[in-house]
Amino acid sequence: MMQHYPVLAVMLLFLAAFLVEIFGSKIAAIRNLITFAASTTALVLIYALIPAVMLRGEIISYWMGNWAPVSGYAIGIGYEIDALSLFFALLVVTTFWLSGIYSFGYMKKDHHLGHYYTLYLMLSGSVLGLVMTGDIFNMFVMVEIMTFASVALTAFRNESEGALEAGFKYLVIGSVGSSFTLAGIALLYGECHTLNMAQLSAILSGGLTKNSMMAMGLIIAGFGVKSYIVPFHTPAADAYAVAPTSVSMIFSGMVNKAGVYGMIRMVYIVFRAMDQSSVQMLLAVFGAVTMFVGVTMALTQHEFKRLLAFHSISQIGYVITAISLGSALGLTGGLFHALNHTLFKGLLFLAAGAVLYATGTTNLDKLGGLSKRMPHTTICFLVGAAAISGLPPFNGFASKWIVYQAVYTNAVESGNFLYVIITVTALIVSVMTLASFVKVTQAVFFGQLREEHKEVKEVPAIMLVPMYIMAALCICGGVFYNVVNTYLLAPASAAALNVTNYIDKMMGEGYADAAGVVNILAKPVEFSFWNPIMWLVLFGVVMAAAVLVIVFGENSRGKVLVPTENADPKYATFFSGEEEMFSQVGGSDLFWGFKKNWQGYYKVMQGLHSGIVTDYTTMTVVATAIIVLCCFVFMR
Amino acid sequence: MFTTQTLWNFFYVLIFPGALFTAVVGLFLAGIDRKVIAHMQHRIGPPIRQPMYDFFKLMGKETIVPARANKIVFLGAPVVGFISLAVIMLFIPIMGFTAFSGNADLIVILYLITIGGVALIVGGSSSGSPYAGIGISREMVTMMSYELPFVLVLLAVARKVGGDSLVFSMEAIAEWQAVNGSLAFHWSMIPAALAMLLVIPAEVGMQPFDVAEAETEICEGPLIEYSGAALGMFKLNTAMKMAIMTGLFTSLFFGGFRTGMMWSDVALFVIICMVVTLVCITTIHAVTARLKIEHLFKFFWTFVSGLALASLILAWMGL
Repeated sequence: MMQHYPVLAVMLLFLAAFLVEIFGSKIAAIRNLITFAASTTALVLIYALIPAVMLRGEIISYWMGNWAPVSGYAIGIGYEIDALSLFFALLVVTTFWLSGIYSFGYMKKDHHLGHYYTLYLMLSGSVLGLVMTGDIFNMFVMVEIMTFASVALTAFRNESEGALEAGFKYLVIGSVGSSFTLAGIALLYGECHTLNMAQLSAILSGGLTKNSMMAMGLIIAGFGVKSYIVPFHTPAADAYAVAPTSVSMIFSGMVNKAGVYGMIRMVYIVFRAMDQSSVQMLLAVFGAVTMFVGVTMALTQHEFKRLLAFHSISQIGYVITAISLGSALGLTGGLFHALNHTLFKGLLFLAAGAVLYATGTTNLDKLGGLSKRMPHTTICFLVGAAAISGLPPFNGFASKWIVYQAVYTNAVESGNFLYVIITVTALIVSVMTLASFVKVTQAVFFGQLREEHKEVKEVPAIMLVPMYIMAALCICGGVFYNVVNTYLLAPASAAALNVTNYIDKMMGEGYADAAGVVNILAKPVEFSFWNPIMWLVLFGVVMAAAVLVIVFGENSRGKVLVPTENADPKYATFFSGEEEMFSQVGGSDLFWGFKKNWQGYYKVMQGLHSGIVTDYTTMTVVATAIIVLCCFVFMR
Repeated sequence: MFTTQTLWNFFYVLIFPGALFTAVVGLFLAGIDRKVIAHMQHRIGPPIRQPMYDFFKLMGKETIVPARANKIVFLGAPVVGFISLAVIMLFIPIMGFTAFSGNADLIVILYLITIGGVALIVGGSSSGSPYAGIGISREMVTMMSYELPFVLVLLAVARKVGGDSLVFSMEAIAEWQAVNGSLAFHWSMIPAALAMLLVIPAEVGMQPFDVAEAETEICEGPLIEYSGAALGMFKLNTAMKMAIMTGLFTSLFFGGFRTGMMWSDVALFVIICMVVTLVCITTIHAVTARLKIEHLFKFFWTFVSGLALASLILAWMGL
């Protein structure tokens, strides 16, 4: 019975997409009901796989129409769900379920919602299918559905400025990426005469030919475009910024994770190239550049969602760097960070969406002081900001810490100074992330409330619930990192390294042995975290300190004085004796000392981010050429 | 569940070497600093206990929450800062003694110190004052400035001590020094030590790196709207940072000394902290004027980082 769950979940989402269009284009209740029912069922079906796959270590395989392999050749489309697939599938279902709930409130004011939910369900179904399929061409089909649904959703609010432009950029760059993937798949099919990933892996285990190296370069580039690593990141910034926020959350939570998944699946399972230091270095450098460029660009943005978009790019850099190391520790850190990124970036996008919903703008120079009007959003945002900046005890700290350890372990073991530079970059990027969120906090939530936002109200409960769920998960992930590691990360990273199991389950016992496949030997995961007992103690201190403040706050002499209705001048802000006036310091005004020193760098970056699609396409093609060349020249 | 170890942990966090010890040492160092700088400027200066008097006096004063401020964040920020600073000392070996030891506590220390700064930034930001807005902008840039050399120093030490294996543990660093002699006496680490000496005043916010609080131009920046107990907490946090940073320097570069007895170890530790304070906080304060923020950034990313990088490369070459 259980082997039917994955394919049912995918089919259900696609079916619901058409049902929404047929029955729900007029009436909101039917539309929402179909969407909610389908996404909840998919969520339940995928979560029901956890005991078997994550705990008992089984691999679920499913041949469509029971077209099982004939004399060792896969002829049908197969689904294969190992712990790695399920890990990403869990991210996907959680993201679109929460985003769906949020949409019910957030999208209420828009028109043509039938189309919106159709596309939303198509996107959800395609990404879910992508992470669970065992067939490389089926994967490509899902990538295509994903790309076109994303393009349409990017341009969904096509009456707003820049939406169509962003959709167009996404369309062009996305198609270029898909074509690379397709070309790579075609080369592989020409060589191996099969499209099943398990069988491909077995056939390629004899050593990569020049042909398959070319295919590998093209496929890495193709999935690089889907995960928006620099220099393929250019459409992402526009797309995340203009898409409805619920869709931005899907983009950063699962669409770019699909690219990361594809990359892991290809380099670890199909090509099994991660024991080669050249591939490791290639991906590590791309990862480091991605995180650095992403965060420096984010620092200068003055549009809330665009800033978050650049942070998405930057955080994916961490993930790529970590998985590039080819060690179990790196994989653990990378997957953990991917999970955490889904949570905290989803939360931040939802907070940005709440601000947009309440005020109608996300321009950092035109906001300020919202914390008094939107206290719940502010708290959720602060949790997300602390998590993405990697402050303990939030989840971002836990995963970044593992990433640092993994990178520096690689540095000392290989003696390669490059990894030291990457470690330093990763640590500095973390501070810069913090800086740009300080900027957002100051520009949007603190400071002075503007005249036009005096009447702003907190967003409805249906939008707050997903935010609180994600905020709670952000804290739990940091405190109970051990649980996350045992039940999710350890099985998933073991699955990525256990190729023989993956092949045998799909193609029959003994197939891998016959083909001479051996697993990549990775060191067992050894990482340390601080003692959980610390937390008990820390809470003790929190209590003590809070009591201290309350005691001192409540006694008769040293009272905490809160302003009352009739404004007493002692509660006014200090203005050196001048008359009080509007004086918000935020947005573009901040971090002058930093930007001044980096103006040369920003001039170069400005030139590269010209906004012209031809330039971006050139960048994409050049980077692909470099990747393919590296695969040719440096691989054994 | 509730074992002796738990009780010990409470003792570690609350009394020694956690909250109380850090606070007392910090306030003592602040007092020494004020006294000595006064003498350098031909003044008599306040008594060494003055920072403690100030703290208790502030705790009894009214705390005014300004009309523009977000009350919870405004009052919560100093407490959060205090909590994170109170636990840092547990990871720093006091000569032979470490309360908590992990495999990668260097990074924990790095991030916990950051929280101290973030608390100041978020608190100042929530007050809604434009002066605070400028202050937090500068504080954040200062933080970005010293983080690079700080990270490089830590990595250099880790490489020097660890060799071909990963060592991010403070305890391992202290033990290595007990066997091989303090790191300050290994010539390849001297540039890193110098860089660290320049990071300390920036981290604590002392002249010439006090651009964020610059009381003569932006009236203490983030602290402008603070009063009473909340201000007292922030003053205490600054003092604790002083103890933590000098303590970190001591155990990174002078961690090789052992007297064999707990109390004399602690006394030695505090004395070295005091000397470090006098060298890198008091003396530099007395002889320099405040930098501009863009110069500060440049100074740290070129000169100080260069020193730290030199050590890192030397350590990498096995020297």
